[in-house]
Amino acid sequence: MNAPLKTLNEMQRLTSPFPESVVVKEWRAKGRKVIGWYNPYVPEEIIDAAGMLPFEVTGDNEPVQMQGAEAHIYSNSCSKVRTCWQLGLDGRYNFLDGYVSTHMCDQDMRLYEVWSYYKKLPFMEIIYAPRKRDEETVKLYQTDLEGFRARLSQYLICRIPDQRIADSIKVYNRGRELMMQLYELRKRDRPPVTGAEAVEVGKAAVRMPRERFNELMEQLLAEIESTGREIKPARRLMLIGSDLHNTTQITSLESNGAVVVMDELDNGIRRAWGQVDTKLPPIEALARHYLMGRPVDRHNWVSDGRLEFIGEMAEQYKVDGVVSQATRFCTYLGWDKFDLKKQLQERGIPMLDLDLEYGHPGGAQMKIRAEAFMEMLESRATA
Amino acid sequence: MSTDKILSVDDIRGTLKKMKEGVKKQPGLMKSTYRYLDAVSGYVERIATAKEEGKWVASHGTQQPLEILEAMDVRGCFNEFWGVVSDIARLESVPEAMGVSASLGTPGEVCSFFRNMDGLMHAGKWPKSDMFLYAASCCDNVKSFHTLGRRYGIPSFGLDRSFTPYTTHAMEFWKNEYKRLIAFLEEQTGQKMDYDRLKDVVAKSYRLTELHLEIDKLVANVPCPLSPECFSSTLVAIRCWPGTQYGIDFLTEVRDELQERVDKGIGASKNERFRVLWSSFTPFFDPTLMGFMQEKYGAVSVADMLSTWRVDENVQANWMLDPDDPLGNLAYRTVLAPGNCQYSTGVDVATVLADKSRRFKVDAAIFQNNWGCKTGAGYGPVIKDELMRQAKVPTLTLHTDILDHTFIARADIESQMDSFFEMVEASKAYQERRAAA
Repeated sequence: MNAPLKTLNEMQRLTSPFPESVVVKEWRAKGRKVIGWYNPYVPEEIIDAAGMLPFEVTGDNEPVQMQGAEAHIYSNSCSKVRTCWQLGLDGRYNFLDGYVSTHMCDQDMRLYEVWSYYKKLPFMEIIYAPRKRDEETVKLYQTDLEGFRARLSQYLICRIPDQRIADSIKVYNRGRELMMQLYELRKRDRPPVTGAEAVEVGKAAVRMPRERFNELMEQLLAEIESTGREIKPARRLMLIGSDLHNTTQITSLESNGAVVVMDELDNGIRRAWGQVDTKLPPIEALARHYLMGRPVDRHNWVSDGRLEFIGEMAEQYKVDGVVSQATRFCTYLGWDKFDLKKQLQERGIPMLDLDLEYGHPGGAQMKIRAEAFMEMLESRATA
Repeated sequence: MSTDKILSVDDIRGTLKKMKEGVKKQPGLMKSTYRYLDAVSGYVERIATAKEEGKWVASHGTQQPLEILEAMDVRGCFNEFWGVVSDIARLESVPEAMGVSASLGTPGEVCSFFRNMDGLMHAGKWPKSDMFLYAASCCDNVKSFHTLGRRYGIPSFGLDRSFTPYTTHAMEFWKNEYKRLIAFLEEQTGQKMDYDRLKDVVAKSYRLTELHLEIDKLVANVPCPLSPECFSSTLVAIRCWPGTQYGIDFLTEVRDELQERVDKGIGASKNERFRVLWSSFTPFFDPTLMGFMQEKYGAVSVADMLSTWRVDENVQANWMLDPDDPLGNLAYRTVLAPGNCQYSTGVDVATVLADKSRRFKVDAAIFQNNWGCKTGAGYGPVIKDELMRQAKVPTLTLHTDILDHTFIARADIESQMDSFFEMVEASKAYQERRAAA
């Protein structure tokens, strides 16, 4: 049994209690603003360059009763959206000065609208996240990002200059680099962290100032190297599908000796992937990175690249099996299911398909399915 | 798994022909009923006979510039329409097709229009298609066109656009997407676009819009002259026949009959007690429900969101800005076009509907929260609250499936309607409206 990672404990201390944490209180105590953002097409760099704290609006490790939210968003919709709105209704996000979303799917667009209608914040913004990845859509997205910069500047009564955005890009690029180093370590036969720990690290990144996170990330990597921490996995898994913030779900998967060594999550590898080009004008560079520079995601109409990416990463990280967890009512993932299964079958990689409610704990039902999957992987390995 | 009840293209053709002949002998219907069924059946015929007539077929989703297809001899097959027409022909077909879809691993939570298409394609009963076309609208399910295209080797093209489509750059982008669509169609068909022909098609489409709005004005009369059997005439014309002379002739006939009924004071119901707005869509899954409401409660359907142009007393649908710029006109048309208002905020949709409610003297709204529709699930409550705030129109929310009649029991709907109309009748706003009338 490995000792807990001290640096991860510190990250968790600083970002607790959720969501109005130690670090948020410290930030606000200095009279500074916090902007909530939802979904991965909001470039945090622009908010950071405005001198505000970008804070990802999510749920966390505790399940949320959503009856209040369902008065405004019916239950036949994504439980992540309903969870976040319930937290908003409960006043848990009252520390936000603004809320920025992108229209990545119908449901996050409606969450933005409900927030705007029932509990409007001083700054509200929605940006379109193009479904196609090409030069034309980069221009469209870039124009929308310019609009976002202009409106945030108006809110601040101060133009956010290019140089400030360029500086923020460097900070965030460094964060990506450090997070990617952790992913590289997980390629080892004996990875240094569990999948649950890795997701906790990713959560910390978007709940505190990135510069502070980067310092802690450097400490974490140093701690891993100095302690020689390693985990001997019985089986190596890859986690794909919907955003996941309740890490007890991953702990359930890992309770049978398996370790999640790779993922395909927006709040995982996509956050760490690539670098924003520092030679281009900053808004253009952000548009290019967020739209074209990261692995294809579920919202892209042409999702062939997503399926290939999953297959390639599964091979690179030598996984024994893939766990696909889709939050119910996710239309995009629903339409990828058939071809995803086919793609993995062709590569000879088994897949466990879980339909989950966002934020629900990894209970007995999940454990039973994970156990059965592990048994199947064991029998394949010994055959 | 049984697939016996799944309708083939020929099954639908045969059933619609019989229905069309059947209404000739049925008393009490609007004269235009035959023409309405002819428009439905004619649309199916156009798709069924396309190959033998040397035309192409493009299966497509909502918000497509069908005028471009018309000008290039490409016949559109609107997947949503195909689901509705399947329900008209045989209610058991859609649930069975969706069973096939489920067997492929497609989750039951995605929209039935698309699960029906998925199942029919696997069963080999979807109309033969040369290509798939789709567009960013308020529907994430359009991703399925690429997915199914990949699975069955059918080329596809998607039109992207901004969520705030009214800005200059968004309009320019949208127009440019049309150019890219034309390039795609030229590549697929091997034919060049004839822009003079396109101008003519666009002019015809504009005439259809004018007729639609003329019909709207007639329908707004008390008593409402439009009967349930012809309620979807404008929807069918605008969504299936834009840019054609057939569409113009069809709506001209409907308009003339409605004018005659208004002149003679003929209403859909002899006892019009409630005027109803369908604030999402009409009950496609149960074609008899509107007639039942009229009979039992005197609740006459006068308007629905899907047939609503973005107009009010001050803004008209003048989308023909420059006759020499057909693509620019079409881009602007989409912004005003029926159904497109969903690609906007619930407040915006509700504002358009509240205005329509005032003009159409609406007493009550029914919002169908379609199980597979995430847009509806997200903006239904906002629309409900805003309709009440802006127009004092109460809303009944029915949790249904847009195509699947097995999703909710008819008895359940009737009991909800019993209480709802009782509540509406007792309301102060209703009594004030009636007193003013």
